[in-house]
Amino acid sequence: MFNAIVSADTLRTTLDSVSVLVDECKIHLEADGLEIRAVDPANVGMVDMRLSSSAFESYETDGGVIGVNLSRLEDIAGMADADQLVHLELDEETRKLHIAIDGLEYTLALIDPDSIRQEPDLPDLDLAAEIVIEGRDIDRAVTAADMVSDHIALGVNEGEEFFYVDAEGDTDDVHLELTREDLIDLTAGPAHSLFSLDYLKDMNKAIPKDAEVRMELGEEFPVKMHFDIAEGEGQVTFMLAPRIQSD
Amino acid sequence: MAGMRLDDFIEDFQRDEAAEKRRLAEEKSYEITEYLDDVEREFQQAVQGDSMFGSTAPEVFVGRSGYPDVSTGVLSPMAADSDAADFATSGDWYQKGYQIDDVLQRRTGMLNSTRSAKVDVNDVWDGFVGTQREVAIADHPVDVEVGLDGTPDIDLSLDDVSTPTGPRARATNADLAENPHVPRPVEKTLEDDDWQAEGAMTYLYRRGFDVYDINTILSAGALGQGHQRRLVPTRWSITAVDDTVGKFLRGGLQHSDTVDQVSVWTNEYMGNRYWVVLAPGNWEYELVEMKAPESVWNPAAANYYLSSASEGWEGRTSYVDETAGAYYASRLAVLEHLHERDRQAKALVLREVTDDYWAPVGVWQVREGVRHAFDGEYGVAESFHGAIREIVPQIPVPLGQLRRKSDLVAGLQTSITDF
Repeated sequence: MFNAIVSADTLRTTLDSVSVLVDECKIHLEADGLEIRAVDPANVGMVDMRLSSSAFESYETDGGVIGVNLSRLEDIAGMADADQLVHLELDEETRKLHIAIDGLEYTLALIDPDSIRQEPDLPDLDLAAEIVIEGRDIDRAVTAADMVSDHIALGVNEGEEFFYVDAEGDTDDVHLELTREDLIDLTAGPAHSLFSLDYLKDMNKAIPKDAEVRMELGEEFPVKMHFDIAEGEGQVTFMLAPRIQSD
Repeated sequence: MAGMRLDDFIEDFQRDEAAEKRRLAEEKSYEITEYLDDVEREFQQAVQGDSMFGSTAPEVFVGRSGYPDVSTGVLSPMAADSDAADFATSGDWYQKGYQIDDVLQRRTGMLNSTRSAKVDVNDVWDGFVGTQREVAIADHPVDVEVGLDGTPDIDLSLDDVSTPTGPRARATNADLAENPHVPRPVEKTLEDDDWQAEGAMTYLYRRGFDVYDINTILSAGALGQGHQRRLVPTRWSITAVDDTVGKFLRGGLQHSDTVDQVSVWTNEYMGNRYWVVLAPGNWEYELVEMKAPESVWNPAAANYYLSSASEGWEGRTSYVDETAGAYYASRLAVLEHLHERDRQAKALVLREVTDDYWAPVGVWQVREGVRHAFDGEYGVAESFHGAIREIVPQIPVPLGQLRRKSDLVAGLQTSITDF
């Protein structure tokens, strides 16, 4: 059983954070909210998302897992104005999701969850450096790097205590330094890793500009980015595997 | 007499070398001009005042300018005693060790009898276009009679993707002088007008047709769903077939084990040097091209011209603009090798274009150059970047410049499960 009412805005933000990586996903219906974990087909980017039951106008479930086509569900959610309410109800018999938006009814065929790729556990990594940065600074760095290159280095200068971004193109370079004062917080440690901008650009789309993003970094290790959505009722973690030179 | 300062000496020496290269290029272009004079004589003999030209056609050509109204032609050798099959572009040219001269000789020795036609050819099996399509789908060169209108235009048309074509003459008509034999699998794709072109291409490939045959068949508009059957300009068709067959092979490898060591392969053909590095990991591919300064490829520059394009495990989402047809031709060659071993890998292809490559012969040269890189011995390295460090002294650009241009040299993509 699953029966919930949520604002279109909250639903869209939630789906966006997952759809930047995958086309379909499993939604775990838990007593205290929704959980989605997904990894892109190339196993390079991963998302772990929770949306608390308190983000909903009403939320009832006795548990279970449903498989959804994300772009279809996003299209439906896109039919509503931001503040309109979306009513979601699972039909156990037909395994379809009934979606109602102000008199508009849509019946969405679900996907067998077993047919969706198994998501790995989010690896527990011991990452030496951690910064807290505004979403808009990530956006600025990614946008500038994209002008010159296909990849971007993120690092922390341990001695001088600043976070930096480097992008090297054929002829042009981009460099950005953010000191402790420019950041919300900084825990210095040895960190330098290169990442594909294709992935980081997609993840950046789902990070609200005003979000406080906690970024964990290491030496040629994945980056983890944690931030809140839906006024703190939702938590998202992105993890991205690096491009490495030590291989 | 006093000696020169070493750096001046070296500079002078380099200037002389550049002048020497220019002289060679001029010599080569005289050679081409001489060929063309021979070609004109051959043509006069072949036609001999008669407007009907009887010959054996191994190949067709579809131009791209003016699309969807294109110039479409039947290619056939003018010398009566020639082996027509040997004039068609194929992997055999590499096996026979053909050099640039050999290719240009063959191509300028063929008459391109052309007519303009609309590309929409569904069900057109009569007239000039019909004859041309029969030539394209037959498994051997076909005897044809071509009616010519006026004198030919003796010229050589060079392209970086298509094989060159020689003299052109406007055709009034073309008729089959025999009933061509069409292989059974080609008949099957032809008869099924509900079959997507991509599926039909990979079907022919799996039935043992090489991309050269498939390219000709596709070009003649003989593959795909009925309403979509069109003449496909030769240049586009070559890339489409390399891309489609490559995607098919890549799809088959996505869940295969990866190679277990870093291997380095090399080959040189027609003044093009290739280095191929295969490394363990999920499929990733990149072609980096380095074109020599002051060569026909990069005449004005003082430095090597670098271009590159790459793809990850899921392939590309955008069109390759920097390396064009060579990207897909070399990717096909790499995927064929991996397919044979049922292994995936990270693959970097470095192509150095020296000025010994003095005229473009078409992208087949890249395909065969890389295919045959896998014939010989290979070196083993501890790591991908270790291999790159050893290759760098053998190539004309420093590591720093290569790293800026190459996604793979900058860093290999890892996956979440590696940590």
